[in-house]
Amino acid sequence: MLDQQAEALSRAGDWAGQYFRGDKVNSEIYTSPAIFEREMQKIFNATWVYLAHESEIPKDGDFVTRVIGRQPVVVVRGNDGRYHLVMNRCRHRGALICEVERGNQSHFRCFYHGWTYDNTGKLVHIPKDDAYPADFDRDEHSLTPVPRVEAYRGFIFGSVNPAVGPLRDYLGLAAAKMDYMIDSSPTGELRLDAGIHKTTYRGNWKFVGMDGYHPPVVHQSAFEIFKRRAANEHANLDSHTAQVQRKTMNESGLAVSRDLGHGHAMLDVVPHRVSEADFHLAAMRNAPGGERYVADMFAAYGPERATELIAVGGDPHLGVFPNLQMINQHVRVMVPMAVDRTDVYLYPVHLGGVSDEMNEIRLRRHEEFYGAAGMGQPDDTEIFERNTDGLQATVNPWIDISRGRNREYVDADGSIVGQISDEVTQRGQMREWARLMSSS
Amino acid sequence: MTTAGLAELQFAVEQFLFREARLMDSNDYKGWLDLWADECTYWLPSNDDDADPHEHIALIYEGHKQLEDRVWRLSGLHAHAQRPKSRLARVVSNIEVHTDGGEEITVYSTFVLCEIRKNETRFWAGRNRHVLVRDGDGFLIKLKKVMLANIDTVIPNLTFII
Repeated sequence: MLDQQAEALSRAGDWAGQYFRGDKVNSEIYTSPAIFEREMQKIFNATWVYLAHESEIPKDGDFVTRVIGRQPVVVVRGNDGRYHLVMNRCRHRGALICEVERGNQSHFRCFYHGWTYDNTGKLVHIPKDDAYPADFDRDEHSLTPVPRVEAYRGFIFGSVNPAVGPLRDYLGLAAAKMDYMIDSSPTGELRLDAGIHKTTYRGNWKFVGMDGYHPPVVHQSAFEIFKRRAANEHANLDSHTAQVQRKTMNESGLAVSRDLGHGHAMLDVVPHRVSEADFHLAAMRNAPGGERYVADMFAAYGPERATELIAVGGDPHLGVFPNLQMINQHVRVMVPMAVDRTDVYLYPVHLGGVSDEMNEIRLRRHEEFYGAAGMGQPDDTEIFERNTDGLQATVNPWIDISRGRNREYVDADGSIVGQISDEVTQRGQMREWARLMSSS
Repeated sequence: MTTAGLAELQFAVEQFLFREARLMDSNDYKGWLDLWADECTYWLPSNDDDADPHEHIALIYEGHKQLEDRVWRLSGLHAHAQRPKSRLARVVSNIEVHTDGGEEITVYSTFVLCEIRKNETRFWAGRNRHVLVRDGDGFLIKLKKVMLANIDTVIPNLTFII
């Protein structure tokens, strides 16, 4: 049934035009199982998908299991010291060869019939192999590599599409924005070794967009807490990012929403934060380990860039289409499970080259807002679920993402810019969605 | 401590944990907050029961001031994920009291909890470790560590008091 629906959809000319008209979106894209199936094929099986960070597998034999769309993948550091991305599927009859999320192993053994691979993916053992001819080529039966693997500064992406273009071209303008987080470490090192907030909601994966319009409404209660703290004695400026809590509200009016192309989108608070760089520098110097951090940042990047990086606080507030976000202290991965079920993994990052105290404060700042029991993310989740329910009303299926279309402009670098609450980001994501979904 | 003394302590601790459960089940945030010592830690580890909170993210790792904020937020009108509120019923059992006769009493327990919200039914379960201190005839909570059974799988909103 689903296949028939998907087939009917794919026969339609100008496919995406049925669902996206510049500033209007047919909400069926959030509710239709057939469209979800098409997304698995046309997006997740076609473009680059973020999979893991190198710091998750520092030692030979370290591995994590991930998915590209629905295809299971093992990301493993082999005994050759290099990382390998292989399909998590035995070459014999296709069972998973790795059934846990992370660990360290020299070999992967399929527990169906015992075919065994080393941690570079090479087939090294077949039980009772006398049943195969002498010239049976084991190398030809090694684990299937992910067709394309490329990394940007530790962020490993994979694609099951052999014809996908170079990652660096795909990231485009987003790469330099990723640097804001990476270079908030004076050594340019992120460590994704602080655990994971594993969350889930009853709704479509595209609800996790990049939206600068919702915070004062959805997160009103959290913002009230921040204000309440500012008025109380425990509003100490004690962290890399506590500063942001006081100054997140864009009093300067300089923050913008930015469409970086290829579906990458950003709530660009950089101009706002840089306009208050003196405040951020002073706050950082007062933080535990902060004086040292400022000195190390100045030494590493020079005064101008270091000042910018410290003001930004490691927060690009960036979405890399389709499944990666880098927000505040964490890297976020969206995993579409079904048209109305999405898992979201949040990996708080430790910064290399900073004090343990600073890294610990960053963890506390993350968890007070994010995770299933934080004061921010659960309200997003609640609204996503209300969205799922509201979209069941299909008498008039169109939703409106026109906000700020009348005042957006093209920046010198080619990105499209609007005010922080404008739906420039949503329109940019939808354009890439439509492009991929319409491809033959 | 004599057997009679231990039995009396066990009874008093059980009554305290049952009262805490009742206050949580009835979303009586203020009443629940009153059970805590001024210097306290409320801790829900993430991913691993023994994860070191100094190096590893938690679901909740809060002192009294953050607890006050949590309760204040839940008491307001804009904690959307608790509007409507969860309806709750939990059983606390397997209560094991450890004391060396000193100031602190360590209590291990297990809970099973049913959450009903917006026509959805969810079951939660886990183990607790309380460190209680005496307060007159009763106790105050110095540490509460909740180790969820589903500590390392994806979880939905956990916005009620657990």
